[in-house]
Amino acid sequence: MPKQIPLVDTDIHERVQYEELLEYLDEPFKHYIQNCHWIQEKHMPYTQPSVAGVDRADAVVPDGRPAGSDLAFMQEQLLDDIGHEFGILTGALDPSPSSMHGWYEMAAALASAYNDWQIDKWLDKDERLYGSVHVAAQDRDEAVKEIERVGNHPKMVQVLLPIDDIMWGDPYYHPIFEAAEKHNLMIGMHHNEPPVYYGKWPRYFIEWHTLIPTAHMKQVTNMIFNGVFEKFPNLGLMMIEGGFTFIPHMMWKMDQQFRDLRHEVPWLKRKPSDIMKKHVRFCTQPSEELNKKDFMSLIEQMGTEEMICFATDYPHWDYDSPHRALPNLDQELKKKIYFENAKNFYPKIPDTKER
Amino acid sequence: MKEQVVCKTTDIQPGEMMESFFGKQNVLICRTPDGKFYAFMNQCNHQGAPLHKGMICGATTEQSEPGEYHYCHKGEILRCPWHGREFDIKNEGRMLANPDKKLPSFNVRVEDEDVIVYK
Ligand code: FES
Repeated sequence: MPKQIPLVDTDIHERVQYEELLEYLDEPFKHYIQNCHWIQEKHMPYTQPSVAGVDRADAVVPDGRPAGSDLAFMQEQLLDDIGHEFGILTGALDPSPSSMHGWYEMAAALASAYNDWQIDKWLDKDERLYGSVHVAAQDRDEAVKEIERVGNHPKMVQVLLPIDDIMWGDPYYHPIFEAAEKHNLMIGMHHNEPPVYYGKWPRYFIEWHTLIPTAHMKQVTNMIFNGVFEKFPNLGLMMIEGGFTFIPHMMWKMDQQFRDLRHEVPWLKRKPSDIMKKHVRFCTQPSEELNKKDFMSLIEQMGTEEMICFATDYPHWDYDSPHRALPNLDQELKKKIYFENAKNFYPKIPDTKER
Repeated sequence: MKEQVVCKTTDIQPGEMMESFFGKQNVLICRTPDGKFYAFMNQCNHQGAPLHKGMICGATTEQSEPGEYHYCHKGEILRCPWHGREFDIKNEGRMLANPDKKLPSFNVRVEDEDVIVYK
């Protein structure tokens, strides 16, 4: 990372182990995990991508626990080593309450337990770390209750919604956005297991991983055309781990479509690219290897230096090193990407010296 | 410094690796199944990962046809612990997906039980 520039890392994956959730769960949900061995189903058919599955091989906790499950080791390997100013926890999406098919009661109980565990074991233990409110969003009313319960925690900065196959801009989910806005929370979207091939899995992980940005593009399009940001003017959306090189294409495409087809979405009072510039931010990771010239031309095409925020995605295999992932940019732009853009986006992140 | 003993031959079994130091330089010593030793800078040329935390394995090769895997070079391929790039230990540490890129390497010779890295 460039020297003298503070870092807000917008995507750090802490991981819970089911047995750690037990003390935060009420019965009978505790019973289902403890005695009936319930775990959430996962669907991704590829577990082989890299040396240690989808984790950095050197991030496995020395005592053998999975990567991301120990604060002290994360501090040593990431926060202290890099010198983070702030980091935003986004969970490991395992469990991912909003991704559950059925059994909404368990999903809602899991979300609450997860939030209490996150506050207790991470947010209260390291002043640099900020958190995401986990909800079971498919049960909208329970999700709103959970946001009401923990949303005013000073270190909760966003409500996390996974990208699977639910389009969150649908008016059914708007009460979630209303509750988030009320508590000064942004929305963070991170893909879980989006079936990017027309509802199916491609043959190869490399195909799926290449196309994850398409799943992110779908959610941004859906949120904008469903008028979420016209209805909730203080709401922001952070797109996590989808990269950023598709932004100019999306802005051009949506604006052109809007000029032709505005009549269908008359509630939009601004052109889509203006809404995106004001309300939507994108994490840089996983960054393609751009040289400075290409990077700067992309920024020029975006028409703003304020839309992208640096993220490491620690401890995952496609981690971006703050020292090496981006080309050597000018100091002012670096400051925005590594720090200011995220800081200005999340109202609860303090100024560096306030801590 | 011109040369230095970095480890003993018995420290690394064929198909394994370990990190060591050549002066201040953190180096990776690899031993291929034929018993030979190789030394590289212990830092990935992509984003700098510590290579000794990766793995030595084989690789699916260019001779593979669509839908048909050809796997060989067992014990001769180094895979980075982060993004998984593959480097061919016996071919100057060249990256399989882009052979123009290679890991910086060092000369190695063995004298009795000593593995010696030299410039
Ligand atoms: S750091 Fe080695 S493959 Fe990226």
